[in-house]
Amino acid sequence: MPYKLTDVHTTADAGLEVLGASPEELFADAAIGMTEIMVELDGLTEKREVAFDLEGTTLDDLFFNWLSEVIFYKDAECLLLKRCELKILEEDEKFTLRARIFGDEIDPERHTLKVDVKAVTYYRFGIKKEDDHWRGMVVFDL
Amino acid sequence: MNKNNFKRISHNIWEIPRDFKEGMRVPARVLSSPELFGGIDHKVIDQITNVACLPGIKKYALCMPDGHMGYGFPIGGVAAFSIDDGVISPGGIGFDINCGMRILRTNLTFDELRPKMEELLSRLFATIPSGVGSKGFLKLNRQQFNQLTEQGVGWCLENGYATESDAERTEDRGCLPNADHRTVSEKAISRGINQMGTLGSGNHYLEVEIARPDEIYDPVVAGRYGIDRDDQVVIGIHCGSRGFGHQIATDYLQVFSRCAGKYGLRVRDKELMAAPIKSEEGRRYASAMACAANSAFVNRQLITYGVRRVFRSVFGKSDQELGIELIYDVAHNIAKFEEYEIDGKEETLLVHRKGATRSFGPGKKEIPEIYRDVGQPVIVGGSMETGSALLYGTSEADEETFGSSLHGAGRTMSRMKAKRTTRGDTVKQRMKESGILVKTGYMPGLAEEAAFAYKNIDAVVEAVDALGISKKVARFYPVLNIKG
Repeated sequence: MPYKLTDVHTTADAGLEVLGASPEELFADAAIGMTEIMVELDGLTEKREVAFDLEGTTLDDLFFNWLSEVIFYKDAECLLLKRCELKILEEDEKFTLRARIFGDEIDPERHTLKVDVKAVTYYRFGIKKEDDHWRGMVVFDL
Repeated sequence: MNKNNFKRISHNIWEIPRDFKEGMRVPARVLSSPELFGGIDHKVIDQITNVACLPGIKKYALCMPDGHMGYGFPIGGVAAFSIDDGVISPGGIGFDINCGMRILRTNLTFDELRPKMEELLSRLFATIPSGVGSKGFLKLNRQQFNQLTEQGVGWCLENGYATESDAERTEDRGCLPNADHRTVSEKAISRGINQMGTLGSGNHYLEVEIARPDEIYDPVVAGRYGIDRDDQVVIGIHCGSRGFGHQIATDYLQVFSRCAGKYGLRVRDKELMAAPIKSEEGRRYASAMACAANSAFVNRQLITYGVRRVFRSVFGKSDQELGIELIYDVAHNIAKFEEYEIDGKEETLLVHRKGATRSFGPGKKEIPEIYRDVGQPVIVGGSMETGSALLYGTSEADEETFGSSLHGAGRTMSRMKAKRTTRGDTVKQRMKESGILVKTGYMPGLAEEAAFAYKNIDAVVEAVDALGISKKVARFYPVLNIKG
């Protein structure tokens, strides 16, 4: 399992521990893990696609912006992410993310909807490189 | 941390002195009871003492009896800052800006409700959108939404979704005056524009409750608030500013994070990121936060509009016959400019209440005239199995807690642990056996919100009553619950 939901650090909300071979893999799995807090993933299709670019001053900053953007699409476009394709570039002392996300429009008839994610918090937030993999931690406000 | 080092100020107040942690500008105070204080989470102590380190904080950083771990501030945290050298912090308000509660009274009694319970529950569930991705009935363009966020319940009055009595009985008449839509991001508008009139999810709910005659603690004040018959039906609504407020909090945490260096602000926890109240960034956040607060007042008002429609249809009676009137609407995640006496001098302070309710006592001009001689209603939401409580505000709160009191029972068990402990259908069955019908879009969510995941509401209410910062009026027991 590339991600694990955890309640070690929070009583009211949900935490997520993620491992990835690359930052891209970690970002993708964290977004899928976050979506799993909100819906049973099995019921989601990939019939909608959205592409966007994001920037961050650090990799942590980019990670925060990425998850916040996925939350944004959930409310603004009723889009729940099923899969994504990501490319992270580091240039001119900033990090850029090129993202294509594939997912489904929220439909209570077809989907088992769970708890809404309101926001990404900075509590214990961050990613770091460990040997040959990347480890991330994020706590969501529910 | 050693609780024995705390200074016990009175039976229900513990003080953590400034030498507890480097950088504390004022002591921290935990308001509690001996039983509740014994079980307090050490993270709450860490967080409330971090709050005590923020610039411009006055008197004490306070934690209410329902306090539990939050982000930055604990939930149940209260702090007041000088407008000259103090700060404003999104972590002192919460992601769900103006999450709050309202209670509506009715002329109905439990006997009249009983034969209609199933029908009423289904109709309320079908009419009031709840859960992930739900959209409200209003179709607004951006200009209309901007007006709504600047005018609050005034917008509802103008458009036929509120009565004058609703506006009068909403904190600040449902409109913080310094709201300016130009301080709000396009993203926040996109997230919120279709969500007005929706409950959301998590611990948000719509509840039909009964005021039992044996648990009316102050019949005089209860009567003044409209609780005036045995087994009276009341309606509770708990929700906030939805994606609009969540995005504003997210946006300004990042803005404050970027400008912290400019103002020489060093905080112990990134979630406590703040900006001077007088700075451009601080002023913009205060205005955006006011927009979110206004949208939350509107959100609860639009749900009220839907509730009235359902009751009229199910009972075949008019609004007048049903007597569905707002008792009061309180914000419990907010920061507001208020006047307090500090060292014998009147000062305007920015009071942050995160998971705390304003509890103004008799005579304050902010209280609607109809309640001014008794104090404002204070509403405490419990878990969906245990119901809620109504109290009144006191002048003791003015002196001790910057006019603040508790907001709910306070969570003690994580959602995951609650789900490991029981199943949603078990909770539903147990509630049915206790006479409570519940409807939700996500059955395991019932386990997450089960009574055992929260502190005992009666214990936290007793604690504030003993402290005198609010006094008990009535206890309400649920019979119908829609869990968001």
